[in-house]
Amino acid sequence: MNGYNFAYLDEQTKRMIRRGLLKAVAIPGYQVPFGGREMPMPYGWGTGGMQLTASILGEDDVLKVIDQGADDTTNAVSIRAFFERVAGVETTTDTAAADVIQTRHRIPETPLSAGQVLVFQVPIPEPLRFIEPSEEETRVMHALEEYGVMHVKLYEDIARHGHIATTYAYPVKVDGRYVTDPSPIPKFDNPKLHMSDALMLFGAGREKRLYAIPPHTRVESLDFEDHPFEIQAWDAPCAMCGARDSFLDEVITDDAGGRMFVCSDTDYCQKCREEVA
Amino acid sequence: MMRWPAFSDPVHDGQRHFRRVLAAMAEPGTLHVAAAPAVPEDAAIGPALWATLLSLCDLDTRLWIAPGLEAGGLTGALSFHTGCRLTAAPEDADFALVTPGTLAEPAPLFAEGSDAYPDRSTTLLVVLEALAEGDAWRLAGHGIPDTRGLDLGEAGPLMTRLAANRARFPRGLDAILTCGERLAAMPRSTRIEANVADIRQEECPCTSQ
Repeated sequence: MNGYNFAYLDEQTKRMIRRGLLKAVAIPGYQVPFGGREMPMPYGWGTGGMQLTASILGEDDVLKVIDQGADDTTNAVSIRAFFERVAGVETTTDTAAADVIQTRHRIPETPLSAGQVLVFQVPIPEPLRFIEPSEEETRVMHALEEYGVMHVKLYEDIARHGHIATTYAYPVKVDGRYVTDPSPIPKFDNPKLHMSDALMLFGAGREKRLYAIPPHTRVESLDFEDHPFEIQAWDAPCAMCGARDSFLDEVITDDAGGRMFVCSDTDYCQKCREEVA
Repeated sequence: MMRWPAFSDPVHDGQRHFRRVLAAMAEPGTLHVAAAPAVPEDAAIGPALWATLLSLCDLDTRLWIAPGLEAGGLTGALSFHTGCRLTAAPEDADFALVTPGTLAEPAPLFAEGSDAYPDRSTTLLVVLEALAEGDAWRLAGHGIPDTRGLDLGEAGPLMTRLAANRARFPRGLDAILTCGERLAAMPRSTRIEANVADIRQEECPCTSQ
């Protein structure tokens, strides 16, 4: 870590992000603007999550980084190596052993515990953006709690497909007030946001927004009485560990239509296999 | 010669203290302890509040200090260690150093943010005579599984102001409560109820401000 401040960012930037995080926690689901810094990687690779992680990380913290549930994919390996180098912190793949978990698009299957912090990488923090492109307008919509259009979007799904076809980045309402984008996690993970024991922080680097869902906070997925929110289900268990309660990825195994479904959370899959063995 | 003690390791002590404040804000009413650093000579604040100032204030922040709290070497030490600006206008303040009595009517008009930008608000840093688990004030809302109770000594005007937050949400004031080495937080989203039995007790002036 020669030549760098602890955890890469300078102290004044960290303080600016920390003050923003306190506001974000005080107003659950509200997007706080922050002065995003250039990170040594392109936007879209998790610069928002990294700035949050850098601002909260301490020398005694154990860090875990996942990308689509996996500890061993490019994004996860790179970010883990980055913090090993610039902060010298211990890292792990074990969900239960981590103090801070930075994640791209999944919430670990192993339930999180009190004191843990989950940091999400967010591409587009504004859930209303695909309906209303103007930031000025969406600000007003949040201020007035004018969220009818969000239900229109879900209704259009039903009109076209017969069911709500939104499968990821499924909009939620936090603490009965702000409609919030949970980042592109599969809707399978949405129930884990509700009344979680852990603190969840969201960082969008390109859009320069951060927001939070504190522990023990009500988080409802938007739905209709006659089309209630449902999560994905699979016919078969994980082909590697046999788990029936985890989110499965489809893996193509040959060019003759062969495929298998395996846990997207590699740590969880590993633990399940160890238990069986 | 005034003594201006601060964090012995600004980077890591500042980070550790921020995590305490973050945990306090995420789970309102939980108590956290900051034993260090020693406070500037004769200052009317405890280590928990001094650590909070050191870890959150810098050139970008404006601080409003209630009359009576600027005593001792506090302002000198603040300028020296953080470079934060002092303001005489409460509506311009990012942070305000107050006692519960400061919020008595007519109270200073702190920034509450707007409906579009509720984050542009003043955060109260409160010096309390007492801060412990108890039944005087019942808290509910995010970060609190059921309800949580706190005793704050004589804090009527402060709590009346904070309880009014709920009606103006998302605008409002967040508060970081401190007493000596102890720290808790009460964000604007917390629902606050006074325990009736305790209010009667508070009416007799058994603790002095």
